[in-house]
Amino acid sequence: MIAVIKWTLWQRRWSTLWWAIGIAAFIFLSLSFYASFRDQAAQLNQVLDRLPAAARSLFTGNADFLSPQGFLSARVYYLMLPLLLSFLAIGLGSSLISREEETGTLELLLARPISRTRLLAAKALAGLIITVTVSLTSLVSTLVICKLVKLEIPLGGIVVTTLTCTVLALVFGALAFAMSALGRSARLASVGLSVIVALGGYIISSLAGAVKWLEWPAKFFPYHYYRPTETLAGVYVWRDSLLLLGVTAILLIIAWQGFSKRDLNG
Amino acid sequence: MTDGVPAIATFGLGKRYAGSDKYAVKNLNLNIMPGEVYGFLGPNGAGKSTTIRLLMNFIQPTEGHAIIKNQNVVTDSVEIKRDIGYLAGEVTIYPKMTGRQFLDYMQALQPPKRKGFVHELAKTFQVDLSQKIGALSKGNRQKIAVLQAFAAEPEVLILDEPTASLDPLMQEAFFELIHLSRIRGATIFFSSHNLAEVQKICDRVGFIRNGKLIAQQSIADLSTQATQTYSVSFAEMVPLVDLRRIPKAKVIAHSSHHAVIQMRGDLRPLFMILTRHKVTSLERREDSLEEEFLRFYKGGKP
Repeated sequence: MIAVIKWTLWQRRWSTLWWAIGIAAFIFLSLSFYASFRDQAAQLNQVLDRLPAAARSLFTGNADFLSPQGFLSARVYYLMLPLLLSFLAIGLGSSLISREEETGTLELLLARPISRTRLLAAKALAGLIITVTVSLTSLVSTLVICKLVKLEIPLGGIVVTTLTCTVLALVFGALAFAMSALGRSARLASVGLSVIVALGGYIISSLAGAVKWLEWPAKFFPYHYYRPTETLAGVYVWRDSLLLLGVTAILLIIAWQGFSKRDLNG
Repeated sequence: MTDGVPAIATFGLGKRYAGSDKYAVKNLNLNIMPGEVYGFLGPNGAGKSTTIRLLMNFIQPTEGHAIIKNQNVVTDSVEIKRDIGYLAGEVTIYPKMTGRQFLDYMQALQPPKRKGFVHELAKTFQVDLSQKIGALSKGNRQKIAVLQAFAAEPEVLILDEPTASLDPLMQEAFFELIHLSRIRGATIFFSSHNLAEVQKICDRVGFIRNGKLIAQQSIADLSTQATQTYSVSFAEMVPLVDLRRIPKAKVIAHSSHHAVIQMRGDLRPLFMILTRHKVTSLERREDSLEEEFLRFYKGGKP
């Protein structure tokens, strides 16, 4: 099992490195102009006030865009970081098993004394390690740049928000993983559905801040349980992340059940 | 073959894929003894690969069951695979790994009995293990696939058309490898659509068509009784009378300078006649596997 994790990580080493570099670069670019932004805050505030509530909530949820938390949330944590980490996790989830199945290398592994359960666990762990590595890179990048541009937010807030963001991404990764482990649906379908749930959830949850009747359906999307602006400000509901972890666990159980007894595509 | 517990056995094994009402394999009963080299012959799509994938637990049987070394292939799959080597004719291996990295990976999952053995094999097969697998030729990639199957010196080898992409020289090396495995007592299940190949290395052969086992015979019987077809051209007139006198031979077509002879068993009588005449060409015709096998089958069991 260790060998499968090791070689899976080895195979993904370059793409993981590029993801880490890309996310770090994105965070640097997004936050670097904080100083000049702060000086023009008053003007921007007026512009934002003229936007309709629905449009504004797509950027920041309901937070004050001009506070340090509001800025960091709007630039990184509200949309882009969860989106990037989710795409990473979906890409991993949809390919860790199914690419090996498509190319036939899965048979080379399963011809050895390793159970499907262990193989699946090894692949899931490799995916977890890669996602966490990239999200740690994002955390370190954020802390460094916040220091540089004097964006003053308590360390704990940033750490916990990154953590909840990672948990959110893992839900989508697990969804893609489960679908591709079930096998019947193609890899594209697993990517498609996961992206729809991720993006759709983001849009519906964001708009729910302004559009009352969306509040109820928003509850069915993982994004609803991710509240970066509040978390950065120190208001954090553990229950939300526990719920997301619970969903992830259920999806992994589905993956396990689906994969352990089915016919491999050959 | 010796009495005792079969190394591989199937009991009414059947597989019907989801969404299909046709059986890929139906009511298959095999009994392969320890140390036996069993050739599993049939045309493409006959059910050879399905049978092998069932034995490897890549797919689940819809009927019956199978055992390897007295253990159920579905419930004891992990235990069984400690001592199995598997090879498919068309193998994809991680293109970005070198041969050595790949073999290290496979040996981490299935520890070998002797550590240096796989490198000895690599020398025999003349494979460069330091190259990335993706940069190797198809033949060289197949050699690495052969290495991974034999590396752990398994007691049971399950080979699905293994020689399909080996060049003739490497086929010989491969047959030698099978021979050595047989000497050390391995049981070998070998699928192929090439009768000549199976004749060369197997003790016994089973023929599968449309998912059903239609005949089984030992190779010793097969080679003495199999019919062969020779097409002979003569410089002079065909010695038809002599040819017709050969026991167990039949002239199935002839013209003034040409004859097609079908015969079974000892070939000496034919060649003795040929030495007395000026022969311009002699050709052994490749019959279709099924024709050849069925003719043997009818001839072998009256």
